[in-house]
Amino acid sequence: MPQLRDSGTHPTGGAGPECAAQSDKAHGFDRIFGIETEYGVSVTGADRPCDAGQVAMTMFRPVVSRARSTNTYLPNGSRLYLDVGSHPEYATAEARDPLDALAQDLAGEAVMRRLALQAQERLRAAYGGRATIHVYKNNADSAGHSFGCHENYLVRRYVPLETIERELLPFLITRQPFTGAGRVTPDGFRVTQRADFLDEAVSSATTRARPMVNTRDEPHADPDSYRRLHVIIGDSNRSQFATAMKLATTHLVLCAIEHAARSGEPSGLEGCALADPNAANRAVSRDLTGGREARLRLADPQAFGMHGGGGAVTPLELQYRYLSVVDAFLDRHGDRVAASMPVGRSRRVRDLWARVLDDLSAGRLDRLADRVDWVAKKRLVDALRARRPDVPLARLEQIDMDYHDVANGTVYETLVRRGAMLRLVDARGVEESLGAPPRDTRAALRGLFVRTAEAAGARYSCDWTHVALTTPVRREAAMIDPFDAEPTPEFAALLDALCRTADGGPAS
Amino acid sequence: MPQEFAQAFPSQQDEAQEESAVVANAAADEQIDLLDAVLDDIETTLEANAQEYVSSFVQKGGE
Repeated sequence: MPQLRDSGTHPTGGAGPECAAQSDKAHGFDRIFGIETEYGVSVTGADRPCDAGQVAMTMFRPVVSRARSTNTYLPNGSRLYLDVGSHPEYATAEARDPLDALAQDLAGEAVMRRLALQAQERLRAAYGGRATIHVYKNNADSAGHSFGCHENYLVRRYVPLETIERELLPFLITRQPFTGAGRVTPDGFRVTQRADFLDEAVSSATTRARPMVNTRDEPHADPDSYRRLHVIIGDSNRSQFATAMKLATTHLVLCAIEHAARSGEPSGLEGCALADPNAANRAVSRDLTGGREARLRLADPQAFGMHGGGGAVTPLELQYRYLSVVDAFLDRHGDRVAASMPVGRSRRVRDLWARVLDDLSAGRLDRLADRVDWVAKKRLVDALRARRPDVPLARLEQIDMDYHDVANGTVYETLVRRGAMLRLVDARGVEESLGAPPRDTRAALRGLFVRTAEAAGARYSCDWTHVALTTPVRREAAMIDPFDAEPTPEFAALLDALCRTADGGPAS
Repeated sequence: MPQEFAQAFPSQQDEAQEESAVVANAAADEQIDLLDAVLDDIETTLEANAQEYVSSFVQKGGE
């Protein structure tokens, strides 16, 4: 069992929820969502060898020269970052709703695309007119390296980490028949990009072992009330439906788990724990029926309600168990859950989830090609194989990779242009999310600060919980509550100082 | 502002109509045509040297 380094859980009977009870949020189901995506970069068509790491730095030159750092916050409140090992990375601004997080994530794709195409212009001047930069929103390169798309959920602290492992992890493993991005490998098609690369199930360490879920001690919020659940198992999705639904369904399950911890009632998910999460994860990834065939051994079949019969379930059987628990939960608390998602509708999410499970159960994979990445991708691969029986593996791998290229891709873009993929956010929505943060979280403050500081030519720095000016004055403001979009006096003073600079006089 | 889920998806009524066999068969044919069209587009635009394309993507770092 992995070591869990964790600053502890406030027990339900103790100080946690009673103190938190003063806050509406502790009784409600409000959630903060975030998606952090590591992108991969390659260059093709250069007239001499070209280092992708160098290319990444060139991509970020406009950003670096503004912020004097490779880690910068954008006017929409999100974070753009260039990792030492040359992964461009984009982390969405805090969102209260999966659809806002989706719009922010799509804005991230657009940012990467723009930077890449600008860099490509400069690159072509040095490396020839055919030089092409590819920016991959995926999870594996051609040499066995894997990288992530991580989800963040603010979870109430009185849910023990052990509970999350036992009750949420099986959900994360078995949701992959609708969240998996798919991968072409020499050994066959896989439902997920990541399963073959993952190790420990739940851990507080991240850099060497590759756990599926961990918690961070610094929740970027009041540490007494929340912890930040960091989900590493997910694939990078192009499908907007998959991105939104992976957040939204996980949210519904977390609501049920939190409520059980808060009220002391059983969640109904206690028996879902898997005997071997890593083996289960790989089995789900190899099950090309989308969850009808893989057999996943339960840790405690009797606790699941299974008596006799092998002690294993299919991924879909587990998903239906989660759905039924969420249904029972929504029957009692649906209105408060609905209030937690200001834009998306929780009951609609539930219905869409059920429809996906029903289609998977009935083998109607064709009905999922417009919303599930691995299905869309596999259909293309299978159709190309049928058209060209001698097609080399490299060609199929190329299609797999191109599907994720947000800068110069054609596969996914063709599907979209021909109306084959469901869209939840239109071009205007993406454009808005490029320029403006969600209005109902502290991202609103950070976005406003960045925009104002840029316009004033000020020197400044940010992190998730603070904004600070270096010039024209040294001042800073803290933003501890991610749910709070109201300026504090300190924040107002910062803006005031910036406006004085811009006008050359007192702010009007 | 992102569309609500309800606007982005067909209503339950539309889905009920989809179930009828006639509509389903026509939809299946459309699907095949669509797939062919997509493949045509892809085949003409993808870079010719697939192996080189794939091998070019080697990414260091990350989790």
